[in-house]
Amino acid sequence: MKRLALTLIGLALVSAVSPAADIDIVKSGAGKSHIDLSAITASGKAGALFKSTLENDLKLSGWFTISAPGKGLLVARGSAAESGGRISASVSVTSRAGKRYVSERYGGSAENARRMAHQAADDIVEAVKGVKGIASTRIVMVGSRGTKKDLYVCDADGGNFMRVTRDDAVCLSPSWHPDGKSVAYTSYYQGSPHVYRISLEHKTRGRISAFPGLNAGASYSPDGARLALALSKDGNPEIYTMSPGGKNLKRLTVTRGASEASPVWAPDGRSIAYVSDRSGAPQVYVQSAAGGRDRRVSNIGRENVAPDWSRDGKLVWSSRRGGSYELVVLDPQKGREIQLTDDGFDYEDPSWAPDGRHIVCSRTGGYHSEVYLLDTLGDRPIRLTTISGEWYSPAWSPK
Amino acid sequence: MFRIAVIISLAVSVCLFSGCRSRRGSQDDGVLGINTTLIGDSPLPGGDFASELTRITSVRFETVRFAYDSFKIAPSEIRKIEKVAAYMRANRTARLVAEGHCDERGSKEYNLSLGENRALAVRAYLVELGISSAHIQTKSYGEEQPADPGHNESAWRQNRRVEFALYR
Repeated sequence: MKRLALTLIGLALVSAVSPAADIDIVKSGAGKSHIDLSAITASGKAGALFKSTLENDLKLSGWFTISAPGKGLLVARGSAAESGGRISASVSVTSRAGKRYVSERYGGSAENARRMAHQAADDIVEAVKGVKGIASTRIVMVGSRGTKKDLYVCDADGGNFMRVTRDDAVCLSPSWHPDGKSVAYTSYYQGSPHVYRISLEHKTRGRISAFPGLNAGASYSPDGARLALALSKDGNPEIYTMSPGGKNLKRLTVTRGASEASPVWAPDGRSIAYVSDRSGAPQVYVQSAAGGRDRRVSNIGRENVAPDWSRDGKLVWSSRRGGSYELVVLDPQKGREIQLTDDGFDYEDPSWAPDGRHIVCSRTGGYHSEVYLLDTLGDRPIRLTTISGEWYSPAWSPK
Repeated sequence: MFRIAVIISLAVSVCLFSGCRSRRGSQDDGVLGINTTLIGDSPLPGGDFASELTRITSVRFETVRFAYDSFKIAPSEIRKIEKVAAYMRANRTARLVAEGHCDERGSKEYNLSLGENRALAVRAYLVELGISSAHIQTKSYGEEQPADPGHNESAWRQNRRVEFALYR
């Protein structure tokens, strides 16, 4: 069982509050709100899909508990109907006391029912809790099926699972462009480890970095203006930044006789965290993106690798503790590491959701790897991948 | 005799380049072990032997093995690299790609860098032995292409390696 190290006290509070206090509590953003969805009518296959997707999205958001009909402090009303290949839906949410939070209409091709439900879920999360939802986000990952390795992408609820590449070549470490429409990753499909950008929208691919030796671990700055990555062209793997087109190269680290890897940008774009083994084992360091002095931020654990930086400034990485890899969260302002996992599985390659609350990562047990969603506020881990294969290196889209 | 000369030249180089850098666990840093501090002095040649030249499979070199999370060349591996150097000296048109690999433990991205450093350590030693740096490229496969697909210490030992791909 996961250790719920970050569990807040909010969960217990919500079920105990009286209706009179409900408005203050649900607007505070802490804890779960109970919502009754039974007054949303669904007709047709797409209508039913809309409603079931919306319900699951609200659960996955971490901010809602679905109430039994007639119960709960919040009531959703509306309809989702399929007709002639199209779906039209309307959803409004009010408190039992009568306060209206949101009222929206959704319409389009029936095959977009899931996407519309994701939008409705995000609208509800934002209106009621005042935070950005994650239902409309996506997750890209590497899948290894048989001898084939390729990129795959799915919605944040695991649905709409699609293969992106058909290279049957080693590929690694996908990372989203801030536009949420394209992904940079490392592929060997032309023989050597080069960095490519692949547009999920247009299904096109361009090569970004093909210097001699290693080109790997690319990560976009939050404004998309720079790319950080590891290159070995000058004699050993070091961290560099470059323009998104691969020009205007700037070297960040100078560590002869050590390996650097896995750069990732701070949300303000001014610092970069990365892995270096200059101490004799891989550890996490932070350095200004403009260069200069670095400082080691991982202090516990023999190896600390694969950092990611949340939009609200928290670092997560994978730490070797005893015989397994566990996820650790560090708020650099507070400086204390909090261990998220502790159940004997290996948790690796964490990536923050844009809500700064959820994390997607790989979980390996018995040498079999699946992708899981974790909640830093204590909800149960959810397995995202369900088809056979090895699934790892997930990255959560920024929007 | 030649080997002793190399050791001396390495020791001198280390004095010149290492800046008296010491690592934890240095008790097992033999003279030959610390030659990895030389990595970083020789930019990689451009081009790609693997796509531009013809692979030679009639000549096979022994695989160089490494300790866990290390790109240090162990004394037991020196002779393997010296044999490669001897071949390269006798075959001036030959080109070499040192292919670095890791075992499955650790992050895939870090292992890419570690595999590259293993290949670079072998390359640096070949350059010390007089082989032109322009004739040796490196390629890291990280943990992506294990020689032994097993999940035990014996498989991991087989997988922490540098293989040589020869081209002309």
